[in-house]
Amino acid sequence: MRREQTGPAGFARDPDEFEAFYRRHVDAVTRFLARRVDDPHTVADLTAEVFLAVLDSAHTYRPDRGSEIAWLYGVARNTVLAQRRRTARELRATSRIAGRRLLDADDIARLEERIDAESPARLALEAMADLPDGERALLELVAVDGLSPAEAAAALGIRQGTARVRLHRARRQVQRFPGVVEMIGGTK
Amino acid sequence: MNDTFEDRLLAELKAEMAAREARPHASGRRSLRTRMLTGTGVVAAAAAAAVALPLVIGGQAPAYALTQHADGSISLQINEFRDPDQVERDLARLGVQADISYLPLGKRCADGRAPFVAGDRTSLTKEELESQDPAVQARVRRVTENLASSKAIQPKNGITIRPKFIRPGQIVMIEVVENARKPTTEHPGVAFQFSGRLTDGPVKPCRVIDDPSAFDIGTATPPPGS
Repeated sequence: MRREQTGPAGFARDPDEFEAFYRRHVDAVTRFLARRVDDPHTVADLTAEVFLAVLDSAHTYRPDRGSEIAWLYGVARNTVLAQRRRTARELRATSRIAGRRLLDADDIARLEERIDAESPARLALEAMADLPDGERALLELVAVDGLSPAEAAAALGIRQGTARVRLHRARRQVQRFPGVVEMIGGTK
Repeated sequence: MNDTFEDRLLAELKAEMAAREARPHASGRRSLRTRMLTGTGVVAAAAAAAVALPLVIGGQAPAYALTQHADGSISLQINEFRDPDQVERDLARLGVQADISYLPLGKRCADGRAPFVAGDRTSLTKEELESQDPAVQARVRRVTENLASSKAIQPKNGITIRPKFIRPGQIVMIEVVENARKPTTEHPGVAFQFSGRLTDGPVKPCRVIDDPSAFDIGTATPPPGS
C-alpha cells in the first residue's frame, strides 16, 4: 500500500519495466536535448543524467497528473537547467555514468544529424530568451517540444489555468518578432 | 547486442539499478526507510492493540518531565514531544544532541534527511524485511535489535534514549507522529508512531509528505513484554 502511494513507479524498480520505459522515450529525450545543446558529447552526458534522474525521482511521477512524456520533459528540463549552472567538467566529475564514453563514431554522426535537424528549434528557443522565465518555460514545452498546454502545466507543476494565462501572454509577446512565430510554427 | 549508444546506456542504467538494490544503505532512499521502520511497526502495533495502556488512552497529560534513570538512560513520554524545541533543549542539557520532528499521524518527513551511521548497516534484503515467515522475522528482529540506532533509541517508557550507545558527535534524530483523535476500545487505531535513528549529521529540515499507510493498524499482536 505504501509503495503504491509514495513508492517509486514500477519503471524505477523493475528492470524490464524500466527497459520498456526507456525504449519508449529515449529518442524523445535525445531530441529534447538536441534542441538545447549543440554538441553530441553533451547530449550523451545529459541523456545519461536524465535517466539517472528518472531512477532518483520516479516516486514523483503521478499517472493521474499527466503523461509519462510530460513528466519526463519536466525531469529533462531540470537536468538541462542544472547543467547550465555547472560547467561541463563538473558534470562529468559528478555523474555516475559518463554518457560520452559510451559513444562510438556512428553514434556521434547520428547525434550530429539529430542536432542539425533540430537547429530551427534551437533558433526559436534563442529567440524566446528574453521572455520572462515562467512564460518562456511554457512556450518552449508547447511550441517547441510539442506538449499540449495541459501536459506542459503538468511538466512544470503548475495549474492549467495559470498555464493558459502565461501561454497566452507569451504568444502575444512573441508576435512582436515575426521571424520567431514562423520558426515556432515550423517545428511544432 | 550493445549496438548503439542507446543500448549501451540502457545496460549502464540497468547495472546502476542492480547496484542500488545491492547497496541500499548508500543513501537515504526508500529501502532505508523500510529498514528503520521495522522498529516503528512494532511500536505502532503495540499502541494499536494494547488500547488499555495508560499512555494511549489516559486523558491526563502528566507534567512535563524527562526522566533520567540510574543507568544514564533518559525516557520521554509521547506528549512531551509536542514541544520539540523544548525536548531538544532539555536533551542538550543532558548532553544529547537531538533533532526532533513532531507531526500529525498520516504525515512523515521525506527520506534522505541525514546520512546513516556505520553501525546501522545490515545485509538484510528487502524480501527478508517484508517476509511473513516467522523464522525470517525472528532473524530480522535479532539483526535490527543490534543496530547502533536500536540500542541508542528504544521504544520503552515512551521513548528511551541510552546515551552510552551514542558516540561523540552523533545526533539522535526522532520523528514522532501522533493521532489527534485518541484511539479507544470502540474505535481502535494507531495512537502514535515514532521512528528514531542516529546520524553523524548534517540533518536537513523535515520536508513533510503524506504517509497514507500510517493509519494501518494491521493484525499484529504486541511483542512479548510490551
